[in-house]
Amino acid sequence: MGKILDGIRVFDLTIAAVGPWSTKLLGALGADVIKVEAPGGDRLSHAVPPLIKGESVLYISANHNKRMIELDLKREADRAIAFKILEKSDVLVQNMRPGAVERLGLGYPVVTKVNPRLIYVAASAFGRVGPMAGEAGIDPTVQAFCGWCSITGPEQGRGEMFRHLAHLDLTTATIITRAVLQALIARERTGRGQLIEIEMLTAAMALQTTRLAEYFATDKQPDPLGSAAATTAPHEAFECADRRYLAIGVERDEQWPGFCRALHLSELISDPRFASNPLRVKHRAELIPVLAERFKSKPAAWWIIRLNKERVPNGPFLRFDELRHHPQVLANGHIVELDTPHWGRMHVDGLPWRFEHTPAGPIQAGGSSGEHTVELLTELGITVDRDTGAAQ
Amino acid sequence: MTTVGSLDGFRVVDFTQGLCGPFCTMQLGDGGAEVIKIEPPAGDFARRMGPPFVGEESAVFLSLNRNKKSVALDLETAYGRNAAVQLARSADVVVEDFGPDGAGRIGLEYAKLREANAKLVYCSITPFGEDGPLRHASGSELVVQAMAEYTASLGRIGEKPVRVGADVASLNTGIFAAQAILAALFHRLRTGEGQRVAVSEFGSLLHLRGIMWHSLSDPDDWYGFHLDHYTAPPDYGYQAKDGALYFILRRANSEDWDRLVLELGMEQVLSDARFNDYGRAATSIGRYAAEVKPVWEKAFQKRTRDEIISLVHSIGGDAVPFMDYPTLLAHPQVAALGTITEIDHSTAGKFKTMRPVASFSETKESIRLPPPKLGHHTREVLQAAGMVDSDALSKSD
Repeated sequence: MGKILDGIRVFDLTIAAVGPWSTKLLGALGADVIKVEAPGGDRLSHAVPPLIKGESVLYISANHNKRMIELDLKREADRAIAFKILEKSDVLVQNMRPGAVERLGLGYPVVTKVNPRLIYVAASAFGRVGPMAGEAGIDPTVQAFCGWCSITGPEQGRGEMFRHLAHLDLTTATIITRAVLQALIARERTGRGQLIEIEMLTAAMALQTTRLAEYFATDKQPDPLGSAAATTAPHEAFECADRRYLAIGVERDEQWPGFCRALHLSELISDPRFASNPLRVKHRAELIPVLAERFKSKPAAWWIIRLNKERVPNGPFLRFDELRHHPQVLANGHIVELDTPHWGRMHVDGLPWRFEHTPAGPIQAGGSSGEHTVELLTELGITVDRDTGAAQ
Repeated sequence: MTTVGSLDGFRVVDFTQGLCGPFCTMQLGDGGAEVIKIEPPAGDFARRMGPPFVGEESAVFLSLNRNKKSVALDLETAYGRNAAVQLARSADVVVEDFGPDGAGRIGLEYAKLREANAKLVYCSITPFGEDGPLRHASGSELVVQAMAEYTASLGRIGEKPVRVGADVASLNTGIFAAQAILAALFHRLRTGEGQRVAVSEFGSLLHLRGIMWHSLSDPDDWYGFHLDHYTAPPDYGYQAKDGALYFILRRANSEDWDRLVLELGMEQVLSDARFNDYGRAATSIGRYAAEVKPVWEKAFQKRTRDEIISLVHSIGGDAVPFMDYPTLLAHPQVAALGTITEIDHSTAGKFKTMRPVASFSETKESIRLPPPKLGHHTREVLQAAGMVDSDALSKSD
């Protein structure tokens, strides 16, 4: 069975996490992704700790499903090779600091003349216009800037960073992948490629669409609420008698009566203060202490049994050592094990989608920088005299 | 001139509610697709998320449902089910979040719809995935964040959990769902074949934590933020006299570095190996960043945040202030990018919201319809499909 992106070639001029993760996903869908790196690779990608057998996990994890070619785009000879590959490519993704790619002679206006069918993604941190045009950024700088920390933290406490410093990178990456797929559809219909511009800042704000909506409606900063949701209730963590926390989420009105029954609090079902979600949100300060006291009276296991019977969303706070063997994770391949050529067997992220007719994957480990240079040039029929710079 | 969108001419029939599915189909609508939102007589439950409300409308609902037509159908009745099936058969894309087997109970399962429409792309969204012991479990934003260990990167050990303030389980999954649908549509354009695709919120969040799973496989040593973050205290950035900032040094040279160190009165770090290479490993995601943070903050004590940011910029580093929503939305960069747009709603009036996130040079994204009132398009859509039942229509109007 063929893959969805069979025959689609991606010229991957990406660094760090944002660009690489997007092309890794295109690779999982079957695209032939050629990752172009300068000799030695970009310093950030290869240096972010931790390392496994000397290589950064950032580099390893963001570059599966690709082949690696080394080109020094500051040299005329290698740039000629790049253009040979670009003539045969469908997609180019780059996330260099604005201006950098133009200095290498690979800006959109130049490249689209060579290959008008090319879909060209320019991803940046803060965009190409405005007072911050051209400023570089990484996940934590965008976290700080985009308001994301101001809505996260303990109740009545200070806003804090999400210490897994990659989430906004990867969110931007997934939006790039989505946009490329959309442009491929457009190209099937128009015959033409186009330029797609994506800023991390805009992606990070889009991820806060629902929270920004609260602000626009009230002109008031939505403050951190600990584990609680702002617009549904009860939707937060409760400590149980065994001192374990249990996450529960009543998002729909039809879940409320079952929740009350599960907690032996049936009298609340008809309490007019809590009769609908807007009322429960409004009276949250009266509702939560009653629930908190009840949860503390029995261990989490008891509440899980009761809540499951009533089909009320609930779940424990898990960690990797539990997740890696969790039957739900294994059954769906959410985390899988993968043999890699240089770094041993690893736990890696599973595929985020399932296609019944044209399965994605399997995940293929990438390689070291430049590992497939000769193989790729041969396969693409590019013969080069790298000294004279003649590419044929 | 009318805008030509990438997805013009595609019809999406959307049975989802809440945040995830609606965020997915809003992306398709922004791209030009016609999105028909099928709602139960009481409406999508997101219509009751809040306060805040804008007029009678939930602010959250308004933010996720532009470019959609609302058709109210009671799927508990034979008429409602028949109308739904007929609309689904006319669709290019069906999106549902009824849960495993849920669609089958009301005659909307893929196997049946494909008999009438082999080109159909059918997307199922579940909380935990379609296999395994939790396949029937219901989820919520916090439940999925907790189970995918997102709360392990926030708050303090032993204290009450802290969630990610943004609705990441829902919205990130909505992006993966849109990817899956677009990939399947692309395949269909090339081959004529439709298919069923699926995503889950749990699977999406676990995917996005993939760097962690790699890190925990067999690291050479236990350091770096990907490993230390489990035990690290809450991170508020770097404190200056009047607020917090975040900065990273990646490009300094010897002269710049000496100037920075002198300016900040930090000469002692010149003999501290953790600050080698112009501080490259001493800030942000560098190996020694966490342990040398107090050194920086001591030096920043008597200076304003803007002074520090200018100083960092002057040596080729990157620095930004920590911002809340009022300061972010007043920032000229947000204005320059046109990030916020305004939509006029028939009863809520003008409200602000995020623009479509990606900018396409040719097939531009567009906002053509405000978020619909419940059932506003029932008559129009059913009549156009040749299904007119005045009794049923009057009930859903």
